[in-house]
Amino acid sequence: MERRRIETPISPEVARELKVGDAFEIYGKILCGRDAVLPKLVKMSREGTLGDLARHLEGTVIFHTAVSPAGIGPTSSNKIEIESSIGPLSQAGVRIHLGKGAISKETIDSMSACGSVFAVTPPATALFMDKIVSQRVLAFPEEGMEALFEVEVKGLPGIVAAARGETIF
Amino acid sequence: MTSREKVVVAVKEALITAASTFRDDQFRAYQRAVEKETEESARWALESMIENARIAAEKRYPLCDDTGIPHLFVEVGDQVPLAPGMLEAIREGVAAGQRALPTRPMGLLGDDEQRLSQSGGLSDDPAWVVPPAMLVKTVPGDELRVTVMLMGGGPEIRSTTYRVFHERSAEKVIREAGRWAAEAAAKLGCTPMIPCIGIGRTHYEATTMMLEAMKEGNFDRQSEWEQLVTDMVNATSVGSLGLRGSVTALGTFIKVGPLRASGLRMVCMRPSCAIDPRRGTAVLKASELVG
Repeated sequence: MERRRIETPISPEVARELKVGDAFEIYGKILCGRDAVLPKLVKMSREGTLGDLARHLEGTVIFHTAVSPAGIGPTSSNKIEIESSIGPLSQAGVRIHLGKGAISKETIDSMSACGSVFAVTPPATALFMDKIVSQRVLAFPEEGMEALFEVEVKGLPGIVAAARGETIF
Repeated sequence: MTSREKVVVAVKEALITAASTFRDDQFRAYQRAVEKETEESARWALESMIENARIAAEKRYPLCDDTGIPHLFVEVGDQVPLAPGMLEAIREGVAAGQRALPTRPMGLLGDDEQRLSQSGGLSDDPAWVVPPAMLVKTVPGDELRVTVMLMGGGPEIRSTTYRVFHERSAEKVIREAGRWAAEAAAKLGCTPMIPCIGIGRTHYEATTMMLEAMKEGNFDRQSEWEQLVTDMVNATSVGSLGLRGSVTALGTFIKVGPLRASGLRMVCMRPSCAIDPRRGTAVLKASELVG
């Protein structure tokens, strides 16, 4: 299966080329966050208090996952705290939201208006172990495994499940 | 090694096996799914999960980073001398396995209010993720069997325990559970799913039957009812990871318990995810449990 190589940060032009069904592999630094921290990022973005985090959001991938000694793997993106972040964080510059599970038409429309996409990846934690180059807590360390992490990856796979107002679901 | 130490070590190994190992019937089910699937993206997802399982078994890595909540199903043979401290040794074995793998440290700290609102922080000890009260069942024989099952969060979001009016039709009950499973498929994300269904007289009993179905289920042996539920889920064409395709359910496990005279059946349906059932069993002979 042919997979497109995508390096972060992702330009708006590259993100807009992506369409439903496209397979890719990600290289570079991405963000990992889930239920606990994504609403905090949305709130900070709305209030204009992101500070240096704004730079990290621009052109990035947010992988909906915890980060722990047990590894990484997708959590359900349709949990309310995660799905409600997809539109606002697209506005803040996030280009690929990577997770699992069907998301709503409303979310897809708000994300697509920013030229961002939603992609899915398998629950393949053992397979992903050697795709992690490095990791560090970027913010909210008090959230433990749910903190916001910056993770450098090589070849993390995904398939576009929603883009340009269209969806595979 | 004392009998207590033997229990700790055996349960520790059972937990690590549950977290990191596909059984042979699971691999065969995946191979059949790959052969059946015609959608390229969905087939890639299935093949990725097979590769993931091979690496996990070889390196003893978790199959999934959500290493779940350990549930214990304990079968005590009627000829087994259960010495003081044995049940506690089972809990110690769980904790030892959690720390050795390690599993994900996700247990919350604090009082009731803090834990409910997730405001008291997390423990960094994987063993803080304690198992619920263990299920203990007496069986004939001279073995103590402890099955550790790891229950991840995704299926729990979409599980249902509810009453079904059977109207003197077993098929009606099974079809209702199948409908619940089919409805859960798209939002579950980690498909192919394995609907695990328990039927009993109370919500508690239905849930314990569901757990027993997870403990015993075998992908190579599917009953007519299990195949019916699998077919209902596959008819959604949600496919693996929701990528569309012919394999949305890998199989179904059903366990029917004692029932009562009534127009109702209590049914528990857990849409278990692509790496389920994660289970490992420690087996100890009565002779090993002395001393």
